[in-house]
Amino acid sequence: MIDFIQKLGFQTLDLIREVGRMFLFLMDVFFSMLTPPYRWNNFLKQIHFIGIRSLFVIALTAIFAGMVLALQGYYTLSRFGSEALLGPAVALSIIRELGPVLSGLMVTGRAGSALAAELGIMRIREQIDALDVMGISPLKYLVTPRVEAGLIVLPLLTLLFDVIGIWGGYLVAVRLLGMSGGTYFGGIESAVEMHDIVTGIIKSFCFGLIITWICTYKGYFARRGAEGVSHATTSAVVMSSVLILVCDYFITSILL
Amino acid sequence: MNSSLSVGRQLVANGCITDNELNNALQHQQKWQSNSAKEHLVGRTLVEMGYITQSALLECLYQQFKLEREAYVVDSQAQPIIRLEQVVKILDGRRVLDAVDLSIPANRVTAIIGMSGGGKSVILKHMVGLMKPDQGTVWVGDQPLGKLSGRELTRIRNRFSLLFQGGALFDSLNVYDNVAFPLREKTKWTEIEIRSRVMQCLEEVNLVGMERKYPDELSGGMMKRAALARAMVTDPEIVLLDEPTAGLDPIIENAIHYLICDTFMRARYTMVLISHAVPEIFNWCHHVIVLHRGKVLFSGPSREVSASQDPVIQQFIRGEIDGPIQVI
Repeated sequence: MIDFIQKLGFQTLDLIREVGRMFLFLMDVFFSMLTPPYRWNNFLKQIHFIGIRSLFVIALTAIFAGMVLALQGYYTLSRFGSEALLGPAVALSIIRELGPVLSGLMVTGRAGSALAAELGIMRIREQIDALDVMGISPLKYLVTPRVEAGLIVLPLLTLLFDVIGIWGGYLVAVRLLGMSGGTYFGGIESAVEMHDIVTGIIKSFCFGLIITWICTYKGYFARRGAEGVSHATTSAVVMSSVLILVCDYFITSILL
Repeated sequence: MNSSLSVGRQLVANGCITDNELNNALQHQQKWQSNSAKEHLVGRTLVEMGYITQSALLECLYQQFKLEREAYVVDSQAQPIIRLEQVVKILDGRRVLDAVDLSIPANRVTAIIGMSGGGKSVILKHMVGLMKPDQGTVWVGDQPLGKLSGRELTRIRNRFSLLFQGGALFDSLNVYDNVAFPLREKTKWTEIEIRSRVMQCLEEVNLVGMERKYPDELSGGMMKRAALARAMVTDPEIVLLDEPTAGLDPIIENAIHYLICDTFMRARYTMVLISHAVPEIFNWCHHVIVLHRGKVLFSGPSREVSASQDPVIQQFIRGEIDGPIQVI
């Protein structure tokens, strides 16, 4: 029993220590964002890697998410004779929830895992130490551009997701199920407010921070060879995904 | 032998070339080189002008180094460039460094030898501030590393370069960009100036023509040479080399040793190298430090190590299984 309590105590202390380290890491990143030198090339490279190269997967996810929402929504709403509400239902679900959350999860899977693996490999091959010895801050050189890019790219990808998702809903509702295009878009225009769009953007901004923060942290402190990198990558993806869903709930409850 | 003489003058003094040949080479290279680098490449110019072959040049430099090495004595009055004072480091519950006291003499080649896992790389990482001691102090000149601010530590690190065991070349950059990297990040040089310096370093390590290759396309020896070029490109004051010949065949190993000697004779850096190439390494360094079980067992001129009566040192040099170090 005492052993169990002791183990629990150690694990709790480890957890507190780890959370503290993660926040200190984030503070260092914020501080380094404000201090020169600013490496625009690195920043643009990360915008390309996290943003441009995620476009296809975001577009594909968005179109099918919109289509399935419209399909399910149509059959549910038609039971109550409320098919006219399909447009607002699809648009609000996507803009307020699915857009930011699915974009976040997709970017975590595509770019977040790569960020953790890349930094992890750099760590175990002593490339991060090499930067340190050269007098170049690895945090500033490697982590800051990735976090900055995540903060900018995620809201943009989410907006794109919203547009493509609504268009996917239109394909099913109007082209497949024969609903009037005017009804679909008219409902959206009257139901969607600026507040809904801002909520989605705030969420995606937070998710961008979570993904790049967690994934770079896990990769940056990877240890013990290839197994360590694989562990860091897995835990970065799992933790980012879970945190996205947890934060989604809290942000929704605050902004609703 | 006056170590402050240029390489060219030393070659003349050693009878490898004549005074006339040196003057011709100097005049030839003045046509295309800036004054600051005037005598730096004289060795290569001599080779290009046919006054000496590359291997004869390296051998000549080695012979001069040998004379210096044999004349080397520890000067207890001189201030060491790096000093570890009662340094303790515990890793995973193991006391890797146990109150280590050691001094690295300035402008000399020092080799640190000892058993695998004996804390040699840990010492190197302490010297450059990548690791902090649990107890004790690391001094670089008269600066205690542990008490420096981030900016001061960066200034100290600018005096160093470190060749990592695996090279630590950046995978996403080719050889040229890897070598140019510290210059692009740390200086305000133009691309033309950077190109000139990078090519000079690549020439010195015989990697001209390999600029566009990526690290995964290089052999082990090439990777070490590229890493050595990157370590030298900023013209540091102190060069740390972590097992520069590990995993290489005897010919490449010898070539790397000649290259290190050549680099030292040209630039007179303070060099600290970790090596398992015992006893060959004693020919390539002035000073040797033997590390065993986290303590310094011997520190002195390389010619004195072999004469040591310490059974651990004797077993290590001879590579015997029987002795105070039990491995099986």
